[in-house]
Amino acid sequence: MPGRRLPVAMRRSLEGLRVILKYPSGTVGLIVMVLFVLLALLAPVIAPYGPFEVAYGVERSVIRLAPPTARNWLGTTNQGMDVLSQLLWGSRVALVVGLLSALGSVLLGTLVGLCSGYFGGWVDEVLMRLTDVAFGIPFLPFAMVVVSIAKPGLALVIVLVIFFLWRTTARVIRSQVLSLKTRPFVWAARAAGAGHGKILFRHIAPNVLPISFLYIAIGVQTGVMLEAALSFLGFGDPQVLSWGIMLNAAFQAGAMRTAWWWVLPPGLALSALVISVFMITRAYEEMLNPRLRAI
Amino acid sequence: MTGFRRYVGRRLVLLAFVVWCVLTIMFGLFQLLPGDPTAIFVDSNFSVEMIERQRQLWGLSDPVWVQYLRYVRNMLLLDFGSSFFQIAPVSHIMAEKVKNTCLMIVPALIVSVVLGTAIGAVAGWRRGGRFEQATVGTALFLHSAPSFFVGIMALMVFSYRLGWLPPGGMVSLGGPDGLWDMVSSRDYWVHLLLPGLILVSREITGPILLLRSSMLEVKGSDFLDILRAKGLRERRIVMHATRNALLPLVTYIAVMTGLLFQGQVLLEIIFAWPGIGRELVQALNDLDYPVAQAALFVMALVTLTLNFAADLLYGVIDPRVTYE
Repeated sequence: MPGRRLPVAMRRSLEGLRVILKYPSGTVGLIVMVLFVLLALLAPVIAPYGPFEVAYGVERSVIRLAPPTARNWLGTTNQGMDVLSQLLWGSRVALVVGLLSALGSVLLGTLVGLCSGYFGGWVDEVLMRLTDVAFGIPFLPFAMVVVSIAKPGLALVIVLVIFFLWRTTARVIRSQVLSLKTRPFVWAARAAGAGHGKILFRHIAPNVLPISFLYIAIGVQTGVMLEAALSFLGFGDPQVLSWGIMLNAAFQAGAMRTAWWWVLPPGLALSALVISVFMITRAYEEMLNPRLRAI
Repeated sequence: MTGFRRYVGRRLVLLAFVVWCVLTIMFGLFQLLPGDPTAIFVDSNFSVEMIERQRQLWGLSDPVWVQYLRYVRNMLLLDFGSSFFQIAPVSHIMAEKVKNTCLMIVPALIVSVVLGTAIGAVAGWRRGGRFEQATVGTALFLHSAPSFFVGIMALMVFSYRLGWLPPGGMVSLGGPDGLWDMVSSRDYWVHLLLPGLILVSREITGPILLLRSSMLEVKGSDFLDILRAKGLRERRIVMHATRNALLPLVTYIAVMTGLLFQGQVLLEIIFAWPGIGRELVQALNDLDYPVAQAALFVMALVTLTLNFAADLLYGVIDPRVTYE
């Protein structure tokens, strides 16, 4: 009965939100986050130019590497593209990658953790050996090899990040389930005749939700970072403009020496987004784990 | 002790299994490459017979399972064949690059562990104080900031704008050669300063947080009261407590070294450090696949071995751990 399950999840998310707002760092993080979401949503409206649009000056000459002016608030790149517009369009990619990879990895990790912890035996053995294999592969090098063999694309990057992120969630959720399944309420449910599916999803899953939420936030942070890192190294999707791609282009063109206005905006935006998520998770974590709290 | 032996045995079997999985995944990946290596290597002047001979020589006309077995054997013997472009066996290139990577990681790791332990111990001892809050906050903040952008910023400020430090590389052109000459030269340390510090700022978080929380646990132990009753000074007592709080750190160090490769690739690219991460990026850009797969395998192997060592070490160091 999904209709009755939804309110639990919603109530828990609202509780989480209230806890985050109780801490000043959480509030700041949330405000920055909301700002980024707004910028990303409004990018087509507020961005002065397209992401790959070339700015022409007088007599159709390309305005290359221009410092910030009234026309290009953050200057232009070596190909005469507007840095501010690229920054705004890039925020969409960052958020989409972050959100999709976080949701995907937490969904996968939670399912694996639930089944592994609840069923035990050979199911547990198989799933945990799979996570061991996943832990044995160094992500960034592996992702670079896969991208250079396959065709680079944003979807591939997201799949790779999910592949990297699910393993931690799976282990943490599993250990939670191991302790939850011995609690009296699970015995009671079983005595009342509940099947495995019902016990797992109606009785145990709601209790691990707060941890899953935490890992969604951590996943957004890691996902954004990994996409940026991969793109910076030149293994991103060249068709889509992300902050990592901007940094890669700037780095290749030697803009660190000549054009600070091209390097700083994507880097600072990336840092701000990652740190805002970090502040939110910090506040949320303090609720989950009282031992972290200073007296 | 038999329990311990059985535990080691099980971990060894697991290690072998994971290595085998990684190898199989890699073999599958490199099979997916369009065409075969001759397409990259062979020049258009080669006749069909010459290409066929080359294919025979490389064993490319054998059935897939023969190629697979040969591949697994060669990788396990660290025989990675020869590079398409550099005139050297890949295993020699790898040894050189791993050494260079260690030249960045090892000093940074030592500083992180020593400094992190001291800071974490003090923070844990003075729980709830301003020092604790400040260090934990700063450490976490540094850890979550994207280190490659911090690297770019540092390079822009200290190398390009101020000109205080070299803009990358491990030593200057024509600088000292040979391991000992390099390590004892000022040139190497000057080059190491920026990437090293950025690495430390990331890696120090682990020891600080770990020491802080394990110190909290040790702080309530009875043996500290005995020391106090003996009349030891507070500083001596902190040192006794720290020794006991160090245990979890030992396993953490191994795990930390394994995860280092992640950020290492980025730092090596930004600071043009000729290590294994940079080699992998270059090999992939040059389509030099023997080098690329060797680099990936070496990194995976190091990660796995260190994790394995960490698991064993924990039991050896802490006599309270039992293996039923």
